[in-house]
Amino acid sequence: MSFFDGLKFRRVDSAVHLMDPRVKFFYVLAIFVIAILFHELIPLIILFLVQIPLVILARVKREWLRSLRGAAFLATVIFGTNLLFRFIYGGYSLIPSDVEHASAMTLRFLVLVESFSIFFLTTSPDHLGLALEQSHIPYEFCFAFTTAVRFVPVLAEEAQTIMDAQKARGLELEKGNFLKRIRNYIPILIPLIISAIRRSLELAEAMESRAWGAIQKRTNLYVLGLKATDYSMILISSLILVIGVYIRFSISIPSFST
Amino acid sequence: MAIIRTKGLTYTYPVATKPAVDGVSITIEKGEFAVLTGPSGCGKTTLCRCFNGLIPHFYRGDLRGQLQVTGLDVKETPIHELALHVGLVFQNPENQLFALSVEKDVAFGLENLGMPRNEMQKQVDYALETSGISHLRLKAPHELSGGQQQRVAIAGIIAMQPEVMVLDEPTSFLDPLGAEKIFKVVRALNQEHHMTVILVEHRLDLAARYADHVIVMDRGKVILDGEPKDVLSSEKARLIGVGIPKVTLLYQQLAEVGLLKTNEVPLSSEEITALLRGVLND
Ligand SMILES: Nc1ncnc2c1ncn2[C@@H]1O[C@H](COP(=O)(O)OP(=O)(O)OP(=O)(O)O)[C@@H](O)[C@H]1O
Ligand SMILES: [Mg+2]
Repeated sequence: MSFFDGLKFRRVDSAVHLMDPRVKFFYVLAIFVIAILFHELIPLIILFLVQIPLVILARVKREWLRSLRGAAFLATVIFGTNLLFRFIYGGYSLIPSDVEHASAMTLRFLVLVESFSIFFLTTSPDHLGLALEQSHIPYEFCFAFTTAVRFVPVLAEEAQTIMDAQKARGLELEKGNFLKRIRNYIPILIPLIISAIRRSLELAEAMESRAWGAIQKRTNLYVLGLKATDYSMILISSLILVIGVYIRFSISIPSFST
Repeated sequence: MAIIRTKGLTYTYPVATKPAVDGVSITIEKGEFAVLTGPSGCGKTTLCRCFNGLIPHFYRGDLRGQLQVTGLDVKETPIHELALHVGLVFQNPENQLFALSVEKDVAFGLENLGMPRNEMQKQVDYALETSGISHLRLKAPHELSGGQQQRVAIAGIIAMQPEVMVLDEPTSFLDPLGAEKIFKVVRALNQEHHMTVILVEHRLDLAARYADHVIVMDRGKVILDGEPKDVLSSEKARLIGVGIPKVTLLYQQLAEVGLLKTNEVPLSSEEITALLRGVLND
């Protein structure tokens, strides 16, 4: 499960957690657009730093750092390939601006990771499902989404149990070449799928027993409403967007290397 | 007044060759605490599915005979309407919770019924309170123990305030302490909130003392139906391997060797203690 830890929601009592997911999604989009507009290092550094107060406000510093650490490998790959291309296109030589460009591309990636991790770390899947629902997405789809999220830990645990059981029966997962290794997983997948099917039948039964589909217009225990914090977040995101676009098209950006 | 009445109820699953429930005629009175028991595969779960309309509406198959629940003919009433009158709690606590937080899960049925929010909030609070899990309201299902999950499932039914609650082996995945807590909640619902309870249970050590009525099934048929003391002390129950409470078995052995001479069949350790004290004091 450690793979998901950097994006896994944990309930914290903070203003950011209470924000409407749609507002946070708008924020992610704004950051995304601006990050794509710039390929210079300085604005991307600023874009990276502006988001840190939000992380502190949301009290998810540790998880956020973990998500960045999780992205470190990909970031290195991005840095390396960018440098390599510059090296090849520049006639097999590197100048300082090449390094700056590669760093900017890497930072752009990190800015995106940063905003996505803020979104996922502070948005409960429940709220996300609700946001989908209130965006007029059919309820069946929203229900499928939240139920899928609900069963991720259950299935992960079950997969582990089956793996242990099959290993105890002498199954060796890490043996053989690539294809053989994939085939090794069949004795794990089949019980997992069968049990998932049984589970879904039982779920359907339980849903029916609780008046699923009784009326067309079902109600909801929670409703999302925009609060003062949501409006200020919309304002901040819009400002980032406007200022970013303005700078892009009317100010020339200084660089470290020229 | 009868709240559930069946007559010659026979049901065969779509692919099966012989009926899983075979000519069952029983009556459950309003406000009763009924325990349904019998060996594995005898049709207890199938009968529960009949009570809330999963059979025949969800499972299809062939249903014959009469089946009336809270005055409604199950064959003619859709499941979601029966859900207002009969709640069903399943064996596996995990597979009956859908939402990502306890309170949202408890509200699920009410949401489906389109209940207004403020009313729904009240019902959810009431249900959480009654099943003793108010402190867990914001937890996710996977953060809970099996016993807690099962109490969430029960709360989800309580919130809908049906007249009858059917529980299909709700404790078979739980440890004795978790089971005890479930029984306490169910007992309180029956005693204080006057809900009719039908409890399917293998192990009668804990459940028998709460029962007003015990029904024993074997191979799809009802073979014993009556007062707990009569049913559990009968020879037939012992022969088909019903999980008769240990104290009742002890009483029978003591009675056989002539140490106890009473017609009071004990179902709990308290009752047998009282009996023995009576004998020793003589
Ligand atoms: N969905 C199904 N489709 C076909 N046959 C079924 C189905 N569910 C149960 N049966 C069969 O119906 C019979 C009665 O099963 P049921 O589950 O009602 O027994 P039970 O008394 O609840 O047993 P247990 O104590 O093991 O839960 C069994 O022979 C079983 O194989
Ligand atoms: Mg069963």
